[in-house]
Formats: sequence, C-alpha cells, structure tokens
Amino acid sequence: MTPALRRALPRHPGVVAVLLVLLGLWMVPIAYMLGVAFRPSAEAFDPALIEPPFTLENFATVIHDNHLLLNFANSVIVTAGTVVIVLAAASMFAYGIAVLRVTWMNPVYAILLTTLMVPITTLVLPLAILLKHLDWINDYRGLILPYAALGIPFAIVMLKAFMEDSPRELFEAAMIDGCTPWQMYWRVALPLVRPAIAFVAIWQIIVAWNEFFLALIVMTDSARKTLTLVPMQYSGLYMANPGALFAILVLIALPLIVLYVIVQRHFVAGLLGGALKA
Amino acid sequence: MHGARDAGPAAAGPHRQAAAAPASRARPRGAREDRRGVRAGLFAWPALLIFLGFVAYPVLWIALRSLAPDTAPGSPRGAFANYLRAFADPVFWIAMRNMALWAIITIPVQMAFGGLIALLIERYTRRSRAFFRTMFFLPVVTSVSVVAIVWSQMYAPYYGIVQAWLQRLGLTLGIALLADPRTVIFALIVVNIWQWTGFSMMMYVAGINAIPEDIFDAARIDGARFRHLVLRVVVPLVAPVTKSLLLLGVIGTLQTFPIVYLMTGGGPDHASEVFGTEIFRQGIVLGNTGYGAALSVLVLVLSLALSLLQITALGAELAPRRAREEAVA
Repeated sequence: MTPALRRALPRHPGVVAVLLVLLGLWMVPIAYMLGVAFRPSAEAFDPALIEPPFTLENFATVIHDNHLLLNFANSVIVTAGTVVIVLAAASMFAYGIAVLRVTWMNPVYAILLTTLMVPITTLVLPLAILLKHLDWINDYRGLILPYAALGIPFAIVMLKAFMEDSPRELFEAAMIDGCTPWQMYWRVALPLVRPAIAFVAIWQIIVAWNEFFLALIVMTDSARKTLTLVPMQYSGLYMANPGALFAILVLIALPLIVLYVIVQRHFVAGLLGGALKA
Repeated sequence: MHGARDAGPAAAGPHRQAAAAPASRARPRGAREDRRGVRAGLFAWPALLIFLGFVAYPVLWIALRSLAPDTAPGSPRGAFANYLRAFADPVFWIAMRNMALWAIITIPVQMAFGGLIALLIERYTRRSRAFFRTMFFLPVVTSVSVVAIVWSQMYAPYYGIVQAWLQRLGLTLGIALLADPRTVIFALIVVNIWQWTGFSMMMYVAGINAIPEDIFDAARIDGARFRHLVLRVVVPLVAPVTKSLLLLGVIGTLQTFPIVYLMTGGGPDHASEVFGTEIFRQGIVLGNTGYGAALSVLVLVLSLALSLLQITALGAELAPRRAREEAVA
C-alpha cells in the first residue's frame, strides 16, 4: 500500500475500540499469569485476574531455588545451532537451484518438500532410537540436527522464492567480473535475500525454542533440559504455591516474547515481502 | 491448529513447484552451463544429507519396524499384526475421533477469527497496526508448556477463574472441565485455538496485503457494505491463504502433543487421547516399539493422503507468494 492510498483510508475509531475489546479477552490468560506471579502466596488461589497488592517474592523464591540460567543456556545453544544450520543448508540449496539452476536439484527439491507433510509425531519414536544408537541422548546435537531437518525445507521454499525474484543481471555481472560460485553466493545472493533470511531465522527461533515433544525424549538429564521442559518439572513441586509456579512461567515465556517484540518488524516485513515482491 | 508446527507458514505443492520451476524459466545459456555439473551440486549436499539422516531414515525405519511384531506375551503374530492390533484397539479409535474433532473445530474457528482480526487490523487501523499484529501473535510465541499450565490453573475446580467467571454468568459447572470425559477434549481444543489463532491472523495479514489496492477502491466507490466487502472481495481473494491454512491445520492437528500431554496425559480414562500421546505411551513409555512404529506409519499415511488430496483437489500450496499471483490473474 502506498502512503498516499493509506492516507485515503477512512478513519474508524470504532474498529480500534472493537479490536481493543477482543484483545482484552485474548490477553486474559497472559494477564492471569502475570497476576498470579506478582501476587503474595496467601492470595494465590483467589479466582481474580489481577489484584493488588503486588510483590516480587515469588520471583525471589524461584530464582533462588533453581538453575534457570542453565536451562536458558541450553535453549540458546539448541536454538542458535538449529538456526545456523538451517540458514546455511537452506540458502546453499536455494542458491544452487534458483541461481545456478542445477537441473538435478529439482527432483531433490520435490523430495525435500515432502518433509512439510511429515508430522513430528511420526518421527519421534524412530529418532529416539536413532539418537540412542548415536549416543546423542542428552546431547545438543540430538535436538539440533532433527530440528534442522524439519526446518530446512520451509527455509528453502522462502529463500528460493526470494532468489528467483532477484534481478538476474546482478548475478550475470558478478560472473563477468570473474566471481566463483562461492563468491557469488556469499557476496551477491545472501545480501540480496536478507529480508527472507531474517524472516526464516525468526520463525525458526520461535519453533526451535518452543519445541516440546522431541526435547522431552532427548533431554532427560535435568542439566540439559531446555526451558520449555522446565515448567513440567515444577508443576508438581509448586502445586501448593501457584505464585512461584507462575513466576517460573513468566521467566520462561519472557525471553522469546521480548525478542519477538524487538524483531517483529522484520518478521512481518519478510512475510509481506513474500506477498508483495512478486 | 498446530502442536509444534515445524514447517511454518509454508505448504507444499511439490508436484506443481517442481514441475513449474523449470518450465516457466528460460534456460540459462552459455557461461552458466558448465556450472551445473557436480561441483555446483555441492550446494545441495548439506540439506540433502540432513534430510536423509533425520527424515528419510526414520521414515524407512518405522515402515520396516512396524512389520515386526512385539515380543510381549499374548501379542498377535504375523507381518501386519501391529496394524491389526491398532484397528482392534478402542483407544486408537478414540484418538482418531479426537483428532477429527480437533481439526473440524480448530481449523474453521481459527480461520474465521484470525481472518476477521486481520481484516480489521489491515483495513481499519493505522498507527495501532503493528501493536495489534504483535499482541494477537504473542500466544504463538509463548512456550506451549507455559500455555498448558496457565490454562490448567484457569480450568481448575474451586479456584480456577474459568469456573468462577462462568458462575458469575449464571452457569454453574458441577464438573471439572478437564476431569470429565465428555468435556475434556473440547476444553483442550479451546486452548489450542487460543494459542494458534494469531498464526492464522498473520497469514491473512499477508493475504490481505497482497490484494491490489484498486480492488478495495472499486468496492468503496461501489458503496459496498462491510458484509459484501468481506464475502465478495476479501474471502475469494484470500482463498489461497485459506487453502494453505487448511493444509497446515490438518498436518498441525496430527502433530498435537504437548497441550494434551501436559494438561491431561490423554486422560481421564483415554478420553482425550490423541495420536501423539498414544505413540508416546505405547512406543516410548511401554516399549512396544513395533506397535508404536505402526501407529507412526498410520499417522504418516493419513497426513500424506490428506495433504496430497488437498494439493491435487484444491491446489493448496505455499501461501504468501501465490496469493498475489492468483489475485492479479
């Protein structure tokens, strides 16, 4: 939408009010989570959404009692490893098929895409056994490589589409200048598809950070558990103290929410770019 | 819609994509020809090797392993024993029914609500646009285990806010929603809808932005009312997004696991069992590897069959980009 056309849109303050009401309803679970987490333990069982007085005692309890930083680090390692491998493998593949146009990669691409139709439910059991054979239980690789395998096809779809949209003249000029395929990949192709890379990276961070099923099976040692697995561990322990439990939930949900709020502009831009560039 | 959706907002039309790409592009000539050889193919290997090791091999493994009966006493014999056992097991059919309910309820509700929110945001807000887009998307970003525990507490009898609020509306529940076999699956579906509607919204945001502005102008000049604008302009033009959401919704349904596992464990008395929890219980907890493999194969076959059906019959595929092309055509 051009700025001129957007300005031409009629104002609709009523719609904003409707959206605010819907949003208020939608945010009830999140408000409740915050409400209980900041509530003194004596009032934890009140069926109220948010009520004063507020306290930080729950956060003090859980931070003092637990090693959340360790779980946080595990999540960061697994997520970062996955994102790097997905971006590297997918952008190379997309470059090969969209820019170099290696013919035999087309059928391979079709086969890779079938991954998108494979629910993770069907892979959990064989992966558990495969990882046990590799001795990768409680090993970061045991999550990183399966996550990468599941993430790469979608990343290829996005990056390939963006590379196909890039002006071919740039690649031809680079070739005339004597660039090798590798130099062209690194210096021309990757910078051109930066919005798609941002989009894919953000989506992959969300997925890998929150994945639960495989992590539950692979990370059995509490020192290796990712953040998503932590609430389960404590839901029994803090059954009588929901304030402390909810404080943990807030701490676990927070990193990704903060990250998303910071990068959402790039996420939406990548998503809309896919729609608008063609 | 989704449990942990790993594929993201892409939906595959492998046949079309693969067939269309070479045909629609002019063949590169001259200097580029020699780059197509083995050396350029090196770019394909990392993705291909990871696929072979962590997707293709596991799929082959379950296919073969499912044919070997488990050795537990009393297990049926024969190559297809594990499959026959599944078809004879009432729990399998409960899971099948729950998955059907899951898809039939979540997918349309998320489409309708996500689509409506997206339309309101994209067409009627300006300065608050980014704010609304971000806030409605937050549940997607929130860890599923956090979501599950918060909702468990909200549903809890005696102190949960859901019961307290329903009571205030004059609706007293004599039961705990998660403990009653009649209500449990619906209570879980509500959680899933809450978590994933933001995803449908985001996909429709892309779809609506791909509609050429002059179409909206024309509708406005014609004096189209909101209802007509929605039914005659927006719904037909975002059809590609809707098809993709249907495709992703079905696949996402089949990978449902964390919400059910964390909130009910498939109970009470298997009433909320889904394929994920049943594969986990049989294959991993009880160690019935052959049976777990057979269940995995059945879910895979169901997923491939339903996906291919939609791709061929509806032309469902990769959403954002195609939306634009079809809108213009």
